[in-house]
Amino acid sequence: MSQSAAGAAPAGAAQAVAPILEVQGVTLQYKTKEHLITATYRVGFSVYPADRFVLLGPSGCGKSTLLKGVAGFMKPVEGEMRLKGRRIVAPGPDRVMVFQEFDQLLPWKTVRQNITFALRNGGRCPRESDADEIAMSYIRKVKLTGFENTFPHMLSGGMKQRVAIARGMAMEPDILLMDEPFAALDALTRRQMQEELLGLWDDTRFTVLFVTHSIEEALLVGSRILVLSPHPGQVKAELNANQHSHANLGSPEFTALQTRIHDMLFADRVLEDEIARRG
Amino acid sequence: MAERPAPLDRPEFEHPSLGKASTADVARPLSVAEQLANIDPVRKFTVLLGAIVIWELYTRLAEVPPLIFPTFGDTVVALWKGFTQYGLAAQIWTSMSILLAGYAIGIAIGAALSFIAVSSRFGSDVLGTLTSMLNPLPAVALLPLAMIWFGLGAKSLIFVLLHSIVWPVALNTHTGFMSVPEPLRMVGRNYGLRNIRYVAKLLVPAALPSILAGLKLGWAFAWRTLIAAELVFGAAAEGGGLGWFIFASRNEMDIPGAFAGLLTVILIGFLVENVIFRNIEQRTVVRWGMQS
Repeated sequence: MSQSAAGAAPAGAAQAVAPILEVQGVTLQYKTKEHLITATYRVGFSVYPADRFVLLGPSGCGKSTLLKGVAGFMKPVEGEMRLKGRRIVAPGPDRVMVFQEFDQLLPWKTVRQNITFALRNGGRCPRESDADEIAMSYIRKVKLTGFENTFPHMLSGGMKQRVAIARGMAMEPDILLMDEPFAALDALTRRQMQEELLGLWDDTRFTVLFVTHSIEEALLVGSRILVLSPHPGQVKAELNANQHSHANLGSPEFTALQTRIHDMLFADRVLEDEIARRG
Repeated sequence: MAERPAPLDRPEFEHPSLGKASTADVARPLSVAEQLANIDPVRKFTVLLGAIVIWELYTRLAEVPPLIFPTFGDTVVALWKGFTQYGLAAQIWTSMSILLAGYAIGIAIGAALSFIAVSSRFGSDVLGTLTSMLNPLPAVALLPLAMIWFGLGAKSLIFVLLHSIVWPVALNTHTGFMSVPEPLRMVGRNYGLRNIRYVAKLLVPAALPSILAGLKLGWAFAWRTLIAAELVFGAAAEGGGLGWFIFASRNEMDIPGAFAGLLTVILIGFLVENVIFRNIEQRTVVRWGMQS
C-alpha cells in the first residue's frame, strides 16, 4: 500500500504540533447502478488544530466523498484516515457534519430541541437542563435568540444553516466537517454567513474541514486550501490562504491567488476539451 | 433601419432616511367570513349539511316510499329508537372493541414487518413481495376459511381485520422510511443513533406523514371489512355488532332502522377521519410543516 501520498505534511515548525486529522493515500470508491466510480485516488493531507482547511475543486473531484469518508460514512479501499491518531471506522459525534441541504434539521424538533437532541444522543450531555443551557448559548452565538422555540419550517434558508452550524459547534467536536454549507444560499446571505463563520472561529478557534467549489469562498473562509483535480480526485496543490479575508477581497494578492488556482483547475479543462475534440 | 434604443441617462438619488409607511396596512386581519372559510371542519360540515338537505328534500318532494328510501327525519327517529330501545350503543361497542383489538395487533405486526424490511434488503424484498401478493386480496374473501380455522366469533373477525390493517400500515411505513432524506439519515448516524434507537428517534418521526396515511388507510379498510364480515356472520353470533344491526333491521323490514345503522357507520368513519386523525395530524405533521 502506497503511503507516498501527494500533498505531504508541511515541514518544519508545524511538525511539533500533532495533527488532528491525518489522511494518507486514501482511495474512495462508490457504486452507482451501472458503475464503480473512483471518487478520489491516493489523496493525502493533514489538518492541524484551529485550521480552516478547505477542500477545493470542481464537481467530480470527490471532495464531498472525501468528507463523507472522514465522517465515517464511507470506508476507503486503500489508505487510511486517523483522527487524533485513532483510525476512523464509523460515524461518531467527535466529527460533526454540516450539510448543504436545508433538510438536515429535524423538522419535528424546535431550534433548541434540534441542538439538545444532538447533545443528548451524541453523549456530550446526558442531562436535559445542561443541554438546554448549552443550546441556548450557541443559539445566542449564531444570533437566533428569540427563535429557540420555532420549528425549522418557519425559518429562512440562512437561519436553518445557522441552526445546523450551532448544532455542530455545540457538540464541540474534534473537527467540524462542512459540506458546501452556504452553496444553497443567495449571494448576500452567503457573504454574511461566511463572515459570521469567521467570527465564530475567531471566538473559539475550532478546527474545520470545509468543502467548496468556489475559489473565492475557499480564499475567504480557508486558512489552507487543498486543490483537487477531477476524475478521479487527486491532490493538485496545498496552498496558504490565511492572509486573505473579506477585507482584502479584490486586492491584487487576492486576485493573483484566485487566478493561480483558476489556472491550476482550468489547465485540466483545456486538456479535456482537446481530448473531447479529438475523440 | 430603426435606431436601437439605449437606456436613458438620469440622475441618481438616495434617501438618507426612510419614513414610516403610513398609507396602507402592512398586515390587515381577514374578515370573519374569510376566516370561517379557512377552517377545514367548517367547510366539511357545510358539505355534510348540504347532503342532508338534499336527502330530506328529495325523499319528501319525490314521495319515495319509506320502505325503499326513508327520509332523513325518519332515519334520525329510527336512530334514536335504536339507541333507546334496540341496544344500538351495545352493538357499536361490540364492533368497536373488536376493531380496536384488531387495530392494535395489526399495527404491532405492521411495525415489526417494516422494521424487518428497513433492516436489510432481503427484509425489504420479503415485505414488498408479500404486500403485492396479499394486499389485493379482499379481507372478506378470507372469512369462510377463517370461520373454519377459528370458529364463529371474535377470533375470526380479528383475523380478517388483521389482513386489512397489516399490509397498508406496513407498506406505507416502509415507503415513509425509504423516503427519509439522506442528510437526515446521516445526521442521525452522526449523533450516534443505531438500530432500534435510530428507527424510533429518527426514521419514525421523519416518516410520520406516510405512517399516518397508512394508519388512516388501515383504519378505513378495517372498518369496511368489519361491517361486511358482521353482515355475513349475522345469524350465528350473539353480540352481532353494527353490521348485524343493519342486517337484522332489514330482515324485520325496518328500513329506517337499517338506514340508521348505515348512518352510524358513516358518522363513526367520518368522526375518526376528520376529528381523531385530523387532530393528530394538526398536532404533529402540520405543526412541523411536513404536511399542509
